Amino acid sequence: MGHAQNKDYSQRDYDAILRDGEELISTHCCFCGMQCGMNIRVRKEDQSVVGVEPRYDFPMNGGRLCPKGVAAYRQAEHQERILHPLIRKNGKLEQATWDEAMDLIVSKIQEIQGKHGKDAFGIYSGSSMTNEKCYLMGKFARIGLGTKNIDYNGRYCMSSASVGFNQSLGIDRGGTNPWSDIKFADVLLIAGSNTAECHPLSMPYIWGARDRGAKLIVVDPRQTKTALVADVHLNIRPGTDVALVNGLLHVMIKEDLIDQDFITNHTTGYEELKELVQSYNPAYVSEITGTAADKIITAARIFGQAKNGFAMFARGVEQHATGTDAVSNYVNLCLVTGKFGRKGSGVATFTGQGNGQGGREHGQKTDQLPGFRKITDPKAREYIAGVWGVDESEIPGPGLSAFEMLQSLGKEIKGLLLVCSNPIVSSPTVGDVGEYLKSLDFFVCMDFFLSESAELADVVLPSTVWIEDNGTMTNVEGRVLRVKGVDRTPGESKRDWKVICDIAERLGRGQYFQFDSPEDIFNELRLASKGGIADYYGITYEKLDKMQGVFWPCPTEESEGKPRLFEDLKFNFPDGKARILAFEYKGPNERTSKDFPIILTTGRVVFHYLSGNQTRRIDTLRNFCPDPYVEIHPKLAEKYNISNGETVKVSSPRGSIELVAKITKITREDMVFVPYHWGKSLAINHLTNPALEPKSKIPEFKVCAVKLEKIASSAGEMHG
Amino acid sequence: MDKVLYIDYERCIGCRACVIGCEECSGHDHLSRMFVDELNPGETVATSPTPCMHCVTPACAESCPVQAISIAADGTVLSASMEKCIGCKNCTYACPFGIPKVDDVKKVMYKCDMCYDRTSKGRPPMCASVCPTDTIRFVDQDDIKNDPPKPVQFKWDFGGTIIETRTVIGLPDTEEHRFGYREGDGVQS
Repeated sequence: MGHAQNKDYSQRDYDAILRDGEELISTHCCFCGMQCGMNIRVRKEDQSVVGVEPRYDFPMNGGRLCPKGVAAYRQAEHQERILHPLIRKNGKLEQATWDEAMDLIVSKIQEIQGKHGKDAFGIYSGSSMTNEKCYLMGKFARIGLGTKNIDYNGRYCMSSASVGFNQSLGIDRGGTNPWSDIKFADVLLIAGSNTAECHPLSMPYIWGARDRGAKLIVVDPRQTKTALVADVHLNIRPGTDVALVNGLLHVMIKEDLIDQDFITNHTTGYEELKELVQSYNPAYVSEITGTAADKIITAARIFGQAKNGFAMFARGVEQHATGTDAVSNYVNLCLVTGKFGRKGSGVATFTGQGNGQGGREHGQKTDQLPGFRKITDPKAREYIAGVWGVDESEIPGPGLSAFEMLQSLGKEIKGLLLVCSNPIVSSPTVGDVGEYLKSLDFFVCMDFFLSESAELADVVLPSTVWIEDNGTMTNVEGRVLRVKGVDRTPGESKRDWKVICDIAERLGRGQYFQFDSPEDIFNELRLASKGGIADYYGITYEKLDKMQGVFWPCPTEESEGKPRLFEDLKFNFPDGKARILAFEYKGPNERTSKDFPIILTTGRVVFHYLSGNQTRRIDTLRNFCPDPYVEIHPKLAEKYNISNGETVKVSSPRGSIELVAKITKITREDMVFVPYHWGKSLAINHLTNPALEPKSKIPEFKVCAVKLEKIASSAGEMHG
Repeated sequence: MDKVLYIDYERCIGCRACVIGCEECSGHDHLSRMFVDELNPGETVATSPTPCMHCVTPACAESCPVQAISIAADGTVLSASMEKCIGCKNCTYACPFGIPKVDDVKKVMYKCDMCYDRTSKGRPPMCASVCPTDTIRFVDQDDIKNDPPKPVQFKWDFGGTIIETRTVIGLPDTEEHRFGYREGDGVQS
């Protein structure tokens, strides 16, 4: 049965099948934050990766996989892998040797930093990497390069949830509870998350709760696969979450569906909230959100009356100019009803990236040091300086956040190292981002496929795919787990942590980067996180194998981690009380207008991951969803005389795109939806709004104003 | 233990993990035998997977002129024997569910054999192994037919001919909407 912490999960009682001449590598998917377990089939003879075999005994998914998971292994033998370094010569990327590439990189770093100062060389990293690599990137920036300018793509993804959890609960672990707790909820309120498509392996838990009689409330402007099976679907206008939640709170307070004892003993700030939500009556909230008042009342009653329940959310709530307000407001739903610290009660954000949780804990965020320490905290700086063996003054302060960093390329920042990200697809105003990247004096990128961003680099270094390395990831629940790989590096590819250590060596900083294995790095990470909020000190590779993952915090070697937070109802503030924060509805940064009368929202489809650099290359996934499209409600389509399958032009004040119209009743009449996984002329991020959330610095991807135009001379029309 | 496929399509998210997973079974030569259909495109995102229904009296096998389609001891209707199959497509036309496909290059029929390579070793077929929402399950035949968790169907009326299948379909609740399942109302504000 395994460790007691895994008792209520989804594992199944079957063994994997081992075929003749093969071995199985027991590892995890490289895609989303669920970190589903899988076995990779490797042919012993030549170490080639030949397939996937279910890993029935892993608690989280019990062998189940989404299509991305089933197809993930097909990256390993993919013909488009970069197998040798590339250097731009006469405008073209040409094959080069590692020595040439490394000499060039090191000389450019020295040249740029010598001329413009240390901070003129920046690092833009990612959150699909192991904890070891994320930690190493933060350390390399601060004491390898000595630059303050490192930030990562999680800024676009998890940063609002992080700020929201910290300001409300004093701690940011994306799931306060083990995922198995979802089964024991009486109500699940899922907001701004198309869980079925973006985190499919959460569905057995949601159905587990449904089978026990739980109610499901889904907040989403579209009738997604998740919303389709809800008891109440609050199809709000994008960007109106704060008002909706104020409405739910209004009804719950008015009808006394709150837990006054919990509020008094374990929270502060309730009176301000009560005062503020007084004006948010259902009729008023219905007007703002465009969803019926009676549905708001029904949802509030279901949530308020339930003993146990979860408020869960994702990018639909977070990627807004008021994203942190919305996160904290959803947390308020559980605070005023006392839904914390029990089996079946808590809050969670659906972590998008593979290591969205771990990647935001150990120092690759520009304002942070390992263990969730603040880089401005003198004590934290002192401690980390001790671990690294440097003087505290050698650690730079906070630098620029991800999008601000891109905007400063060519100005404050002259050189850039890009690792594990594809910002020219994933950033707002991607056209401008291309110009920023081109204005760099020097741009080096590490990747295993030539992404749209890598295409612009001066040097491209070939790295390995995830199953060619070892390390740890931290999943959506805060469970640290082991990723294992095949011992091979195809062509001239190298593991990126080794390359970073090598660059440090060549820069004369090698003494701080003496690592022979990911486990070496992890052992330093353990020490660096010791005493921090995300404390990994007690976690060892051995313990991870034995327990099938360990939940942080795990502060001592005897500790077995903490699957469920707040069981003692002590929140992470000196007084132990959670903060109920009150927010007026401000609305999106950009409003619709006469010229741009329709709301655009963006999102994912089940077949693709983030910028699509990996999934667009896998035939079987691409075939199911080869191109982006625009979802339009029949009534809106009628207004513009647009028929299904016709190409239409969608424009915002920042750019335009031509897309095939998909006419469907699942969307609202006042909006359109476009998935964001494509680059260049197919990138919807030409249109999205770069307005940043003031606290989290997340861009407002989820709302901007657009217009629709029928393209008059389309071939479809001419030929009937 | 006689196990069959149970499809609770109310839970289907249309992700096609079953379609891709099907290719991963060692006997399947990377040719998927699984189907997923959109039930009412434009109206709803509802979808449903269709594996072979494994008829108790399979029309495909009965129509085969060369007896290439065998039935395993447990009742599984196997894919055509590579040696015997002549690619005539009789089975494709005979099947009331439209399941057998013919590889036009190899001139051989292929269809769901419930991953015989796996089920003969006591493991679930790939579709039921990977399905992320438990839409497709590998369950005891007597249990699911006699004591189902919800209304099910495994007898089908084709113009007066009743066909019983080993594969069992769970019916969505479109009367009470107990799981909120609706067919194509679009978004109600």
